Amino acid sequence: MEWYAALGLLLGSIMLLMAAGMPVALAFLAANIIGAWIFMGGEAGITQLLNNGFGSLTSFALVPIPLFLLMGELFFFTGLGSRMFNAIDKLLGRLPGRLSYVTVIGGTGFSTLSGSSMGSTALLGALMVPEMNARGYKKHMSIGPILGTGGLAIIIPPSALAVLLATLARIDVGALLIAGVIPGLILAGLYIATIWLQVRIDPDAAPAYDVPSMGLAEKLRLILRDVVPMLSVMVITVAGMIGGIFTPSEAAAFGALGVLILAVAYRCLSWENLLKSIDGALRVTLMAYLIVFGSATFSQLLAFSGASSGLIDWATGFDLSPLAMLLVMFAVLLLLGMFMEQISIMLLTVPIFFPLAQGLGFDPIWFALVMLLALEISFTTPPFGLLLFVMKGVAPAGTSMRDIYTSAFPFIGCSMFLVFLLIVFPGLALWLPSL
Amino acid sequence: QDTLTAVHAFPETLIYTQSFLDFVEKVNERGEGVVEIQVRGGPEAIGMFQQPDAVRNGVVDMVYTPGSFYGGALPEKDALVASNLTAIETRENGGIELIDQIHQEKMGVKYLGWFDSGVCYNLWTRDEPTLDANGNLDVSGLKLRGNAVYNAFFTDYLGAQVIDLPTTEVYSGLERGVVDATGWTQIGLIDLKWNEFLNYRIEPCFFSTDLGVIVNLDKWNNLSDEAKTILQDVAIEHEAASVGALKAKRDEDFAALEEQGMQVVTLEGQAAADYLAAAREKTWARMQGLMEEHPMGTENYDKLIELFYDESADPT
Amino acid sequence: MHSIRRAYDAVLTLMAIIAGAMLVWLMVSIVVSVAMRNAGLQPFAWLFTSSEYALLYMTMLGAPWLVRERGHVHIELVTAALPDAAQAIVSRLVAAACVVVSVILAWKGAELVVTNLERNDYDVRAYYFPKWILTAAFPVSFTLMAVEFARFVFGPELMHSGEAGIHE
Ligand code: NA
Ligand code: NA
Repeated sequence: MEWYAALGLLLGSIMLLMAAGMPVALAFLAANIIGAWIFMGGEAGITQLLNNGFGSLTSFALVPIPLFLLMGELFFFTGLGSRMFNAIDKLLGRLPGRLSYVTVIGGTGFSTLSGSSMGSTALLGALMVPEMNARGYKKHMSIGPILGTGGLAIIIPPSALAVLLATLARIDVGALLIAGVIPGLILAGLYIATIWLQVRIDPDAAPAYDVPSMGLAEKLRLILRDVVPMLSVMVITVAGMIGGIFTPSEAAAFGALGVLILAVAYRCLSWENLLKSIDGALRVTLMAYLIVFGSATFSQLLAFSGASSGLIDWATGFDLSPLAMLLVMFAVLLLLGMFMEQISIMLLTVPIFFPLAQGLGFDPIWFALVMLLALEISFTTPPFGLLLFVMKGVAPAGTSMRDIYTSAFPFIGCSMFLVFLLIVFPGLALWLPSL
Repeated sequence: QDTLTAVHAFPETLIYTQSFLDFVEKVNERGEGVVEIQVRGGPEAIGMFQQPDAVRNGVVDMVYTPGSFYGGALPEKDALVASNLTAIETRENGGIELIDQIHQEKMGVKYLGWFDSGVCYNLWTRDEPTLDANGNLDVSGLKLRGNAVYNAFFTDYLGAQVIDLPTTEVYSGLERGVVDATGWTQIGLIDLKWNEFLNYRIEPCFFSTDLGVIVNLDKWNNLSDEAKTILQDVAIEHEAASVGALKAKRDEDFAALEEQGMQVVTLEGQAAADYLAAAREKTWARMQGLMEEHPMGTENYDKLIELFYDESADPT
Repeated sequence: MHSIRRAYDAVLTLMAIIAGAMLVWLMVSIVVSVAMRNAGLQPFAWLFTSSEYALLYMTMLGAPWLVRERGHVHIELVTAALPDAAQAIVSRLVAAACVVVSVILAWKGAELVVTNLERNDYDVRAYYFPKWILTAAFPVSFTLMAVEFARFVFGPELMHSGEAGIHE
């Protein structure tokens, strides 16, 4: 079979099944059964599918994801998360639109810990949107920043997806994590500038209201009691990783342990909280891992059938400039992001894109960072971005898809601008790892 | 014309894969019109640990993989691991023929050839290794990275604290001091960039690589005689040629490492002999234990050791 | 009949609880092994291996429960656009396709376990571990998933809600 026929058959069947409403994991498995039958010699191919799933699931590289999730859920259900939000709200005083800033800052902290854009969007949406609605904020002032935080979370360490990408692409995990720091800070700055601009243009978007003013001593007490301990979990996680106490894959376990210890110290850990957190982390993990189980073989089928090498040969055959090729790959990632969750996209594109990027002379760490950004942008791109639907699910009644689309655009713009900056100044990503 | 599909265990860029691709090229040249090998890719096409099952089940016709990746099915691969000979001598003395027979009986695959042999393993450390009064290696305090192949030797004989890390995590493990010593083949340290952190190589080297080509037996039996002859002849030629090629590559690597300051610490006399004997015997013990659990039993055990180990080939 | 169903549901829930325990075990095993390592002790190799195996058991034991909870993410494009009656038909057809997929994998999974037993296969990591104990998770999990999807084919409830968007 020609490569384009194989590619068309494999991608066509998966898209058809997903569009029909088959659960994503089952759609992968079904497409695999068809593909394995054709390309891997009938029944033996289906046995191979199970062996592959076994191999891809029993890999230590997957361990951080459930543990980052557990960490985030614990943060939320024990109330430690909202404690930090409240403290920050009070500290910022009369600053117009402050809850939007809080959402960016606190939400980034939270979703960076949880490592799951879908999970954190759901939680933040449920937590912040009603709160801000009640205080007269317009919808875009709450929804936009929440959709933006996922993009920050994916590049600021610790990031489970960055760990996974580095492992799949066989690049240095530590370097990729550190490479995300400066771009992450720039993106956060762009978000804050966006909110500031939005409030300047339309002051009614975020009505001012009085909060009791506090003395310096009280502020300090609030910082020490509610902000510093929560942030320290993240700091300790990163420090332990850099200090050689644990490897990046092991860091998530200590993050979860840290939140548990904090919750005990603040007397907000109950059996109910704990079980709810495990339940929440388990649901997202199971959903994602069954997809990993299926998509492991899917990307192998693309390789084994010759579809992916055919695509590479074809795409590189155009003799485009490296920049044009980068844009082509970026577009492919955005396109796939409409249909798939991020792990599947990585599994699918890494074996194709990294050799290609290498051939074009891109630094693999830099390319991985651009890829992470593309994945996150695709997650919030209208009309099909997964996070948009998650947001629709948790937002208050009367929120239309249109509200959500228009809220997302300015923040997508920020991420795009960051990609542009990275292309023009690769040093933004590569300077820190080179130290 | 016969066509065989093939996959290789390691990524395309690795030296061992390049060696296999050389072999493929030679077959396709010599076998024009008779036999062709179509390489479908590496671990991205079929996961590296799933490849042995894939060739057994006929998903793919040919696989280039270390025997250690299917050690559960064929513990006799440890005869190659503990060998101090190369494919040249063991092809001549009938060792590879015996290994081929065992592959056919136990796994239903044809063992076509033992490539890239003659490469052994060293212990590599960050800090200068200490020797005790008798000149034995003292590993107390070493944070030694291990894996399934050498743990029997490291823990049972050396008494080391082995830390199991996947290969992908070793770089950051070394960087952050999670581990400060590891075993690895003589070749490849530079590709993995571990030489950024490792400063000492301990001699003598132990073990041997056990990379080989296996072919689905049904597929093999259905090939034309002419195709079989070409495949087997080219494989035997490549067995010999790859020994020389990799020795050259090893010398090149060692020279490059030494230029960057890699120091060599050599165990002498009885200490060296004990060290090598332990590596060998712990591995044989594992082989024997696993062979006993199989219905075929240990009937080939003595024969394998006789054919794959030659005392006179050890350094004196 | 009713009590059989309740017992079955309880089994499914129990499997999910074990899956949750596996998730906690991931954290515990890592914390213990890192603590041992930093105390200068030899971490047990089975701590590492067990966490890799826990990922498999967790996913397989929890997957049927997640079907019951409608937790496997799917996209509603077609079903949302159709009138109610047609939507129900499509939803049941999709669930039926899921049954077929699960049954095929349960069947091949059972064959794989038999092969692993016949060949005396081991999974080789820090230890040699009998492979069938691991692959046995496949026939169990996919059989129960088939049953759960079948409930959406024949039962009173539909897998799809009919609301456009992504559902998990
Ligand atoms: Na992060
Ligand atoms: Na986002």
